[in-house]
Amino acid sequence: MRRVAIVGAGLTKFYRNTQETPKELAYEATKMALDSCEMKLSDIDCVVHGTAPDAFDGVHMKGEYLSDGSGAYRKPYMRHFVGGGTGVLSPIHGWFHVASGMFDTCLVVAEEKMSSAYPHPAGAFLTIFDHTTEQPLYPTLIYIFAIEMNRFMTTHGYRKEDIALVAVKNKKNAMDHPSAQLPAEITVQDVLNSEIMAWPVNRLDISPTSDGAACVVLAAEHVARRITEKPIWIDGCGWSLDTAYWTTRDLYYPDYLEVAARQAYKMAGIKEPSKEIHIAEPYDPFTYKELHHIEGLMLAPRGKSVQMLVDGHFNRNGNLPTSPSGGLLGVGNPIAAAGLMKVIELYLQLKGTAGKRQVPGNPTCGVANAWGDLMQVGTVVVLRS
Amino acid sequence: MALIERFQKTTDIGFWEGQIPMSYIYTVGRAGEKFFRELINGKIFGAKCEACNITYVPAKIFCEKCFARLEDKYLDVGTNGKVYTFTQCYETYEGIRKEKPSIVAVIQIDGTQGFLVHWLGEIDFEKVSIGMPVEAVFKAKKDREGSILDIKYFKPIK
Repeated sequence: MRRVAIVGAGLTKFYRNTQETPKELAYEATKMALDSCEMKLSDIDCVVHGTAPDAFDGVHMKGEYLSDGSGAYRKPYMRHFVGGGTGVLSPIHGWFHVASGMFDTCLVVAEEKMSSAYPHPAGAFLTIFDHTTEQPLYPTLIYIFAIEMNRFMTTHGYRKEDIALVAVKNKKNAMDHPSAQLPAEITVQDVLNSEIMAWPVNRLDISPTSDGAACVVLAAEHVARRITEKPIWIDGCGWSLDTAYWTTRDLYYPDYLEVAARQAYKMAGIKEPSKEIHIAEPYDPFTYKELHHIEGLMLAPRGKSVQMLVDGHFNRNGNLPTSPSGGLLGVGNPIAAAGLMKVIELYLQLKGTAGKRQVPGNPTCGVANAWGDLMQVGTVVVLRS
Repeated sequence: MALIERFQKTTDIGFWEGQIPMSYIYTVGRAGEKFFRELINGKIFGAKCEACNITYVPAKIFCEKCFARLEDKYLDVGTNGKVYTFTQCYETYEGIRKEKPSIVAVIQIDGTQGFLVHWLGEIDFEKVSIGMPVEAVFKAKKDREGSILDIKYFKPIK
């Protein structure tokens, strides 16, 4: 296998209600990524695209629809989709194409436009549940996550007011992100006082629905070294799927993630993740999920992540900054694009070009994860400078 | 990096209203035929994989761990269980505030590794706890039609 690097990145601003069509959003991100490394579309050998349910954009077979905006005209093109886990599967899918030796360069594009769905994109999730045992009960995503959060809190004795610190941290980090949809300086009390959605989840525990797109340019080693003095290497890839019956897995711990993380760490030669990894972008669509995923990534012992959060361990200037981008809670959550946004944050941080968001200490190794399908897929990428 | 501008009102820009007009008739499947027909009889059926020592609820035709066929392994698992985790929901799936919030729980059926999602009834939210024993409350027999809604809700076992 050949070594593969990220050499360029682009990201639109995340909003609720963009005027741009989905393919226009894809175009803006892709164009920005090519410009960032002074490449032209003719330099690109192939394209992969990650985008979540067709029902969001309301375009059936969205992969084909998005292909031209993603730069795929008359190129080998493939769409992948694992629900919320898509955005971190995207660079893995691109990695296959280049590591195999088949292509030297690959555009990895992710797009989501959730605002097209009326009255609310949450309605699109009703039909992901089992059509005979669950749909008649009108499940919502928020309530199944509330159910998981309750199990997580009860098992470890975590307090809701401590978990709320994730929203405080991430929304503050997002103040420095030019793409951010919901940057804010808030307090724990603001989170606890926000509207209750499904106990124990309040409105400020949840990331917003968003429109947006993201893109990275991948290159094989010999090409990457011509393009940039500082390629950022994809050194570890992992993905796994737990049981398809979401109620039957132990909700307090994300086994789907540990399996994927172990695969990625093995590939990257990482033996002690909490020591060898300097920054992390754990998937944080809900406050508790960042902590759940920090434990699943083995960056904190089970049952200890909240104390470490309270102690400031995960702050931008802490021992292990998590979601220095601002995460989904602060930057926004256009599903597939949000996952790739996290990978782009690692890319910028490891390159040392994250501007006001730059974490101290010249980090050289970072991990990002995403989570999706029906709460059971884990996708993990390890990057190194 | 930020290029894209936001619009505030849908009337500010050109648009076209559309739908993907499809409706579906979902079969309940081979295991579902057993599970849902037995609900009419007031029974909950699972399927046991003896090799893995796992009882799935609802019944399934195969074990997802070893791929054994379970179609002759259906069994009545009773109607009692324990609250595994729960929430109280304030909004509908369309994002509309409910007049009265509903309590939803994952219920582990006793003696099985299987779970059902359902509503809790005849209890106040403040009194619900993880591990609480509950039992299924069925609709009147004449009203049952082989649906998960033949169970009205689960209620605490006194």
